[in-house]
Amino acid sequence: MDSLDDPNRVWPTGLTIKESEALHRHVIDGARVFFAISLFAHILVYIYSPWLK
Amino acid sequence: MNSISQRAMRAWVGLGPRFLPFADAASAGVPLSRLLRLSLVQVSVGMSLVLMVGTLNRVMIVELGISAALVATMIALPVLFAPFRVLIGQSSDTHVSVLGWKRVPFLFNGTMVQFGGLALMPFALLVLSGGGAAKDYPVWIGQAAAALSFLLVGAGVHTTQTVALALATDLTRDDRRPKVVGLMYVMLLVGTIASALTFGYLLEEFTPGRLIQVIQGTAVVTIVLNGIALWKQEGLKRMTAAELAAPQPRFRHSFGRYMQGKAARRRLVAVGLGTMAFGMQDVLLEPYGGEILGLSVADTTKLTAALAGGGLIGFAAASHVLSRGADAFAIAGLGTLVGILGFAGVIAAAPAGSPMLFAAGVIVIGAGGGLFGHGTLTAAMNHAPEGQAGLALGAWGAIQATAAGLGIALGGILRDVAMSMGALEGLGAARGYMIVYATEIVLLLATFAAMSSLFRRAGNQSSRG
Repeated sequence: MDSLDDPNRVWPTGLTIKESEALHRHVIDGARVFFAISLFAHILVYIYSPWLK
Repeated sequence: MNSISQRAMRAWVGLGPRFLPFADAASAGVPLSRLLRLSLVQVSVGMSLVLMVGTLNRVMIVELGISAALVATMIALPVLFAPFRVLIGQSSDTHVSVLGWKRVPFLFNGTMVQFGGLALMPFALLVLSGGGAAKDYPVWIGQAAAALSFLLVGAGVHTTQTVALALATDLTRDDRRPKVVGLMYVMLLVGTIASALTFGYLLEEFTPGRLIQVIQGTAVVTIVLNGIALWKQEGLKRMTAAELAAPQPRFRHSFGRYMQGKAARRRLVAVGLGTMAFGMQDVLLEPYGGEILGLSVADTTKLTAALAGGGLIGFAAASHVLSRGADAFAIAGLGTLVGILGFAGVIAAAPAGSPMLFAAGVIVIGAGGGLFGHGTLTAAMNHAPEGQAGLALGAWGAIQATAAGLGIALGGILRDVAMSMGALEGLGAARGYMIVYATEIVLLLATFAAMSSLFRRAGNQSSRG
């Protein structure tokens, strides 16, 4: 695939680079939320039933 | 941008449009299948509500031994978030995105928040109950974690429901809205009933492990349902640089403009009073049947089903009449009158000692509530000013959810106060309930009075207000 540098090029999706960046940001934000939740959930599980003890 | 993101971006731009969550711009009109998919949000809302208010209410008190006052506080927390619906609705109206999306980002974020709350909830509750090794830790950790999980689920539910209703308004024309509102209500009821039965079955043999499976299973189902619901609902809309840079109206300005609309304040007052009137008897229904009419637990459970059945009759009737061009306010007004009839029947059931009259009254109350809810929501959609559908639906939802919560709390308090008043002893054990039902009739009369001028307006002018 060509470089992602051309801002005006429309790709096979019909998306420009800016648009796919916006879509990608939602995916990344979702992943961050998932990470934060799992971290917090692990702390709670450790409080309830500690492992490696 | 790092190399992993670069690679992910290449994958995005290389995909076919079929695999991306944008609506097909070429489609004329909105097919029923798309609206059905959107209404799945209501199923997940119903699921979360029944889990918090019904299933966990019991599990926390009986199985986990948490104090009833703490449980009541946790369950009430999501109601605190209800007023923010107006803000969520307005933000989705004015949201600016390169993709041209307004509602989908909020549906996505709301779903993530709801998922997060549900994913944390079982562990938070187990720590709150002081089980396992949690008793060695300070009590506030469990309390804070449980409060956070309930708040997150509440925030998620309010966000997804508000934005889904706003999206439904965007997608449909005035004449099809009554059917969409009916669909949305029925799906909420379906989600509530189906998940109540499923949770009851799955938690019959309670273990902490089962609690985790059930609540986290709900979290996964929420993501799946809402994912299906938001897929290809909004099209890709190219924004010009000027559109992207244009300043967006502030909340205060937008809200002020909305409240200046024709009878906006009166409409909201009517929604609040009516919802509170119908909501006050929610938690008193089963104790009234058991305590005053001597019904068994199995019979009183059927009462809740009778109320839901009455609601379905109300939604169906409202959908039918409204899609033939009836005035939404008039239908809501009719709902209040039907409700008054139902409450009168329920009051009369105690001196008559007639469970049949009580059951009939409950069904009629359900039908009245269905007509009222359907009428006011259809009116909120049809009278939403141009570009303010989210704000209008947010205001409707904020008032509705807050009033329902207040109504339930007031119903319980009013009954207890009336029971402790010596002056009313002549009325017997039923006096607490009688006072509540009588108050509901008064509130419904006030609702009808508040709405009556709206019928005239609607009669004089059929244009959007």
